[in-house]
Amino acid sequence: MLCEKCQKNTATTHIRSVVNGKKTERYLCAECAQKEGISAFSDAGLGDMLASMFGDALALNPSGAQARCNCCGSTFADISKTGKAGCPECYKTFYNDFLPYLKRVHGSVKHIGKASKAANADCKPADNLAALKAELAELVKAEKFEQAAQIRDKIKEMEANL
Amino acid sequence: MSCWYNNPAPEGDIAVSTRIRLARNINGYPFPARMSAAQRQEVNAKIKDVIDNNSSSNLKYIDMAAVPENERFSMVERHIASREFVLNPQNKAIIISDDETVSIMIGEEDHIRIQVVLPGFQLENAYKIADDIDNMLCGALDIAFDSELGYLTECPTNLGTGLRASVMLHLPVSEQTGEMLRLTESVNKIGFTVRGMYGEGSNAAGSLYQISNQITLGISEKNAIDNLKIIADRIIGKERELQKSLNKIKTEDICMRALGTLKSARILSSSELITLISRVKLGINKGVISDNINPIKILIEGQPYMLMKTHGTMTDEERDIYRAQTVREALS
Repeated sequence: MLCEKCQKNTATTHIRSVVNGKKTERYLCAECAQKEGISAFSDAGLGDMLASMFGDALALNPSGAQARCNCCGSTFADISKTGKAGCPECYKTFYNDFLPYLKRVHGSVKHIGKASKAANADCKPADNLAALKAELAELVKAEKFEQAAQIRDKIKEMEANL
Repeated sequence: MSCWYNNPAPEGDIAVSTRIRLARNINGYPFPARMSAAQRQEVNAKIKDVIDNNSSSNLKYIDMAAVPENERFSMVERHIASREFVLNPQNKAIIISDDETVSIMIGEEDHIRIQVVLPGFQLENAYKIADDIDNMLCGALDIAFDSELGYLTECPTNLGTGLRASVMLHLPVSEQTGEMLRLTESVNKIGFTVRGMYGEGSNAAGSLYQISNQITLGISEKNAIDNLKIIADRIIGKERELQKSLNKIKTEDICMRALGTLKSARILSSSELITLISRVKLGINKGVISDNINPIKILIEGQPYMLMKTHGTMTDEERDIYRAQTVREALS
C-alpha cells in the first residue's frame, strides 16, 4: 500500500485514532509520519531518554517559548521533545537554552580538539546576559546562594550599563 | 570480494574490530530528518562532486535507492552501514572504498558520517584514515562548526569532535566469570559504554562486546582515543589472563565439539552459528584449532542477508540449510 499523503513511498505506519467516537484510520510512510510527529515505537526509547534530559533546560528556556530558529523554524520545545536539533543554526538561536543540557551530558561546554578550517560565526552570543540569568536560575535551584549572589550582582551591573 | 575482515587483525585473539566514526554537517541545510527530497539530492550532489574531483581516492559513490534490498541489508551485517540508514534508502547515498574499510553514509542522522572499520585493535590507524578523509572531503565543503561547541550535529550528544571510537572484543571468559558485569560498571563511570554486539538487551550473543566513548565535547580526539585504548588494553589483558587459567581438557572438549558441529551440521541457525563460532575462536586461542580458520569471516558471511545477496531470497528454513552448507565448505 502506498502512503496516502505523498503517494510515493510504501505505507509503513498505520494510525488508528478515535476522536469523539469518530474512528479514523490513516496509512503513512515513515517520512510523512515523521513530518507529522509520529515516530516508530522502536526509536521512542532513546528519543525519550534524550528528551527527558532536556527537562530542566526547557523550564529555563531563556530564549522564550516563542523564539524560532530562522533556518528551520524549530522552537526549543520542538528540540526538547525529540532531544535533537533541527539544523546547525539551532545551536546559535538556542545557545543559552542548550547550555545546561550540554553540561549534564558532556560535563563541559567548550570544544577541545580538531577545528574545522571553514569555521563559521560563533554560536555563543556576544552579550552573555541571558547566559548569566540562566546560570543564576540554576544556582538558585541548587541552593548555591553565595555564588548566585555574585552572578546577581554581575547581572545588575550589566543591566545598569545598558 | 575483499572486505575488512579478510585483512590481518592485530591483537586478533581478543580484538575483533576497531571502528571510528566522525559526524559532520553542511551549513545552510536542516539535518536529514527534516530535509526535503530536493535538499537531500542537493547535498548528495555536493558531496559526489568532491569525491569525483579527487582522482587519487579509491572511493566509489553509490546511490542507495539503486541498491537491491539484500545487498543493502548485508551492508549492516558487514558493519559498513547502520540499520536505520538502509531501512529507507530514498535520497541517500554511500561512498565506499575498495576494501570497504572506509564507508561514508550521506543522509543518515547527520549529513555526513565518515566511518572506518579495521580488523583487530588499531585505533590510531583507523583515526588517521578517518581524519585524512575528513580533511579531503570536508575541506572542500562549508562544514557547520562553532569554536565553542565544535562540529554541530543533530544529536547534542555528538557535539564537539563528533567522534565515536569503538572496539569490538571477544570476551567469553570475562563473561562467564562475571568479570564483565564489574567491568561494564566501572567503564560506564568514566564516560564509556559497553554493549553486546549481537543479540538484544543485556544478552551478548557470541560474547562479542563493543566498548565506545560517550563524551565528545570538552575532550580532544587524541584523549578520547587514548582513554579507549587504555581501557580496551586492560580488558584484553584480563581476558587473556582468564583464558590461560581455564581447565585445559574441559575447554578443548567444548571447542572441539563446537567445531565438530559446524563441520557436520545440515541445518544451522544464525544464533547457533554465533554460539559455536565463539567457542571455535576460543579454541584457536588455546591452540587446539588451526589458526587458518577465520571465525569472524565465517560469522559475518553466515548472516542472513550476506547469504541472500549471492544466493537470492530464501525462507528461514532454506537459509539455515544453505548456511550449514557454506560453513561446512569454509571449514573443509
